[in-house]
Amino acid sequence: MVYPKDHRHITDDLMSGKFILASHETFASLKENADFYTDFFKQSFNYELIIKSDYAYLLSKETNENFSRDVCIFIAVLSYELDRDGKNFMDALEFSEFTIEEVDRYFENTSFIDLIESNKQLRDAEGRRHLINAMTRRHIAHKNFEDRFTFTPAYKMFIDFAKELALKRMGGELQPVMN
Amino acid sequence: MIKAEPRTILSFLHTYFEVVHDLFAIQSEDGIIRKEMLNRVCERHGSFIQAKLRDYRVVRPVGEDFEMRDAYFKMMEFLLLEFKPLLPETIEKYMMSISELFLKIRRSIAQQSDRDILQERVKNLNQQIREFVDMVEKNTWRLLNETRDLKSNIERIEYRDKVHKASFWIEYYILPLNKILDVNHADSIAQKLIEISEFANRGRLDFAEETVRSEFEKLYVQLLQTNGDLLRQSKILTNELLPLLERIRTESLILTGWIEFLRNPYKAAVPPLLKSQRGLVYAKDMLYKVREFFQQFEHPENVYLEEDDAPFDKWIFDRELYKSKLNAELPVPDFFNWCVKELGASFPEIETEKFFAMTGLIFDEEFSIEYNPEGARAGIRTTTSQLTVPLLRIEASEKIK
Repeated sequence: MVYPKDHRHITDDLMSGKFILASHETFASLKENADFYTDFFKQSFNYELIIKSDYAYLLSKETNENFSRDVCIFIAVLSYELDRDGKNFMDALEFSEFTIEEVDRYFENTSFIDLIESNKQLRDAEGRRHLINAMTRRHIAHKNFEDRFTFTPAYKMFIDFAKELALKRMGGELQPVMN
Repeated sequence: MIKAEPRTILSFLHTYFEVVHDLFAIQSEDGIIRKEMLNRVCERHGSFIQAKLRDYRVVRPVGEDFEMRDAYFKMMEFLLLEFKPLLPETIEKYMMSISELFLKIRRSIAQQSDRDILQERVKNLNQQIREFVDMVEKNTWRLLNETRDLKSNIERIEYRDKVHKASFWIEYYILPLNKILDVNHADSIAQKLIEISEFANRGRLDFAEETVRSEFEKLYVQLLQTNGDLLRQSKILTNELLPLLERIRTESLILTGWIEFLRNPYKAAVPPLLKSQRGLVYAKDMLYKVREFFQQFEHPENVYLEEDDAPFDKWIFDRELYKSKLNAELPVPDFFNWCVKELGASFPEIETEKFFAMTGLIFDEEFSIEYNPEGARAGIRTTTSQLTVPLLRIEASEKIK
């Protein structure tokens, strides 16, 4: 059997819980062979392959819930604080480079301080650095230097989560007017 | 009837602009000026003002209350750039009047009816178009201000309310207004104006009567300006207002979601991220993982084995006994078969170890061995093995004398 180009690399990354991004060389092959890979992961491991326009990842019944929750809290607090600071947080998440120092400042002065202090990964600079490293390993963030990082398009998965949560809590009364 | 000179009225408005401004604000807010409110505003500036306001027809009574006359209200709107946003349904009424006038103008020309009424209709059409564009401009201006206020959020309204407001503006104002201005939409007013513009262009060149030609000329020039204005308004709506409102809506929605999540993050179901498994299909570091796995079972300290004292069945080959038995039966045609027979007589099963011990007799010098000339072989089964052995004939060897 002839496997698609970069098969090993694609399976390696996805099975390690990493996101494959549109900027990765493997993304084109994954997208071209979307049907094959969807079937491959479903039949072999019962995993669901999600391919969006600029990122792809695997879903399974067994999840890494703690990590996902920590990332959600991290992005939620950062978004809230950026907005409070008068910045367009969507632009910031999409285009800005963050310094660790800047993130530390936001987290140390946030009104969600009680929540932050009760979370092992987020309560101090060291824990947050570990979380950023873990996000980098999974391709959710990209470290430009040791103390600087940007978000990759994978952050949109968490933004979609917030949007859906808001719509659910608002009783689905607000359906998008435009798409 | 107004007895006062226009200049006197303007002078009054100039002197008591604050009063008129206050009344305008009250009417904008409530839609009417309550009697008590009028009294309160006028008291601050002198009781004669109320009479003047009525004399100059700035306000008129509505039951016991008052309202500012439309001409003054519009003037104040214009001066203060504070237009009340109109529902597009209100603006759409111009579609009816413009279409109706246009139809009648065409009929007048076709039926060659009275020139004066044709001229009046062209003038009226021009007027309606002017009012329509004016209305659209005011609305766009107001919507732009509302949107910017929402974006800057000076009133610090909740994200959830921002979502509502942005959705409201989009759904009831921007999208319908955009539809009215969309030249690609067959039923839009903009499309109708283009049609009128082409008609007016022909009219200003072809019409026999010079006075009518002149009216068509004015209409055509007006429409050239109008179409450009509408295009600009449409661009503001689609390029600026709509994306900005959509953005406010999306951002507020996301922040609402995050705030809801942060209220109790440990109770919300988070996005399911894959948990990476041990021993992946293509693990590059498999060797190291296996080595690490086995290393946990390695014990660097010395291992001492204790002998087991438990009794066990130990068989000792009695060489002399079997040698004498073999001697007694000489010559034996198949030595290995004899071994099996002898062991079988003493034990229920023949173990390989016992069989080999017995075959050791063959090396005794008292016996001579004769091989089968055809190399025939026989099979022997022990508890653990299946052996193939040659056929050996044993005889007593001749003693050297």
